[in-house]
Amino acid sequence: MSAQLEIKDFSVTRGNFSLQPVSLSVEEGEIFAILGRTGSGKTVLLEAASGMFPGDTGEILLNGTNICRIAPRERQTGFVYQDHGLFPHMDFFHNIAYGLKMHKVPRNEQIRRVHEIMDAFSIRHISHQYPGTLSGGERQRAALARALILRPVLLLLDEPFSALDPATRRRIHEQLLSVHRQYKCTILFVTHDFQEAVTLSDRIAILLDGRLETVVESGQLLTNHYNEKVEEFLGRTIDHE
Amino acid sequence: MKSWNKPSLFSIISMAIALLIICFVGSAILAIIAGGIPAFKEAAASREIHFALRLSVLTSTVSTIIVMTLAMPAAYALTRTPMPFKRIYSLIIDLTLSLPYILLGLSLLILFSSPWGKWLKAHHIQVVFSPLGIVMVHLLINLPYALRLIRSAFESADIHLEYIAMTLGATPLTAFLTILLPMCRNSLINAFILTWSRALGEFGATLMLVGVTRFKTETLPGSIYLNISTGQNDIAMATAMIMLVISGITLFLSRILTDPSRDKNRKVGI
Repeated sequence: MSAQLEIKDFSVTRGNFSLQPVSLSVEEGEIFAILGRTGSGKTVLLEAASGMFPGDTGEILLNGTNICRIAPRERQTGFVYQDHGLFPHMDFFHNIAYGLKMHKVPRNEQIRRVHEIMDAFSIRHISHQYPGTLSGGERQRAALARALILRPVLLLLDEPFSALDPATRRRIHEQLLSVHRQYKCTILFVTHDFQEAVTLSDRIAILLDGRLETVVESGQLLTNHYNEKVEEFLGRTIDHE
Repeated sequence: MKSWNKPSLFSIISMAIALLIICFVGSAILAIIAGGIPAFKEAAASREIHFALRLSVLTSTVSTIIVMTLAMPAAYALTRTPMPFKRIYSLIIDLTLSLPYILLGLSLLILFSSPWGKWLKAHHIQVVFSPLGIVMVHLLINLPYALRLIRSAFESADIHLEYIAMTLGATPLTAFLTILLPMCRNSLINAFILTWSRALGEFGATLMLVGVTRFKTETLPGSIYLNISTGQNDIAMATAMIMLVISGITLFLSRILTDPSRDKNRKVGI
């Protein structure tokens, strides 16, 4: 496998928060988790990767192209927020079809592709419902479907499952893995849940207080030894004697 | 048996204020209706009142459309773009809100009576003592007001939804048109109606710039002023009643168009 996403010495400042230079690479088709406490800069890194705001230093390469100066609409990234980010004035069908409409896909093709992805996420029965009227699980599936319908090279997920109950979360995990196999996209997702990071991802980066501490294989997250800060984050005490 | 809670000091103050408003506004409205009914038929058939009504509605509508067209992109720039000197720009805009309207009217009069204003007049653009002046006054008074309303609506709209739209292929302009504007629909309708109502009732600055000339610059408030000055109190009351009816209709329209029960995004028990 080759590195599809390469972040090289990328730093960004947002208000009082500063993300220290981060370097990491994500392989093609990989599910990569960024794990860290609330306020550690996980979302800032994700948003910067999608082009929501520029960085201060460094570069972000997607398939070898520096995307830092490319408009968000041309980056081929999909984005899903914790609170779904569905457009409240559109029903699910039009939410999911939005990207196709922006890319001027013919109407018949739009309908076919929206129905296909709705079936994959089992949400076709609610296609004419509005986001405010349905459950968190349904909204999250619709948000994933909307992000995936354009077949993005990179899917960015910002704590997408944290507001869901455990049963719904498990179900959506399974659906995400199944859709990931089908769509073969690379996924970079942010979470503060160790279990979720281990279950879903191939590798995990730990980001604490705006600094990238380490990158590990997900199976080794709880067996490796780290510095004091990471050990404390993982809830393990260090014997200094 | 459930007992009544003792009202707090704040709720007593609120009730007292509400009662005062009802007494003052209610009695004024009753006085207008009582005084206006006898002459209402005469006023409703009067060519002069028809002219004033037409001029008021026309100038208010034209100025409100211009105000909204200018205020929406300006509010977008102030809330969504990293434009330089944003604070100074906001301060200058807000300044006009704090100035007395008579002063704004006077400043416009001085401006359009200057050599520059005379040059405009020589090129058939007459602002002083003309209906165009009424629109100009409305613009100066209502643009900062509408801008503040729209800006506050844009600030409360979730910017992340526009970001998402852009990752899905929208340009900033398409995201503005397809996401931000529809999300702020109710606030924009309210801003339009409030701005229009303020324009319809504007008098002080208009009087200063265009005066009140029958069948030329006579708006509804101007008509009330003229009729009171000439001792035709009953016609003035009837004209005030027409303004009350228009206010009632705009309030009704505002409620219908922004009814939360028509909002498709309403939350139901989940």
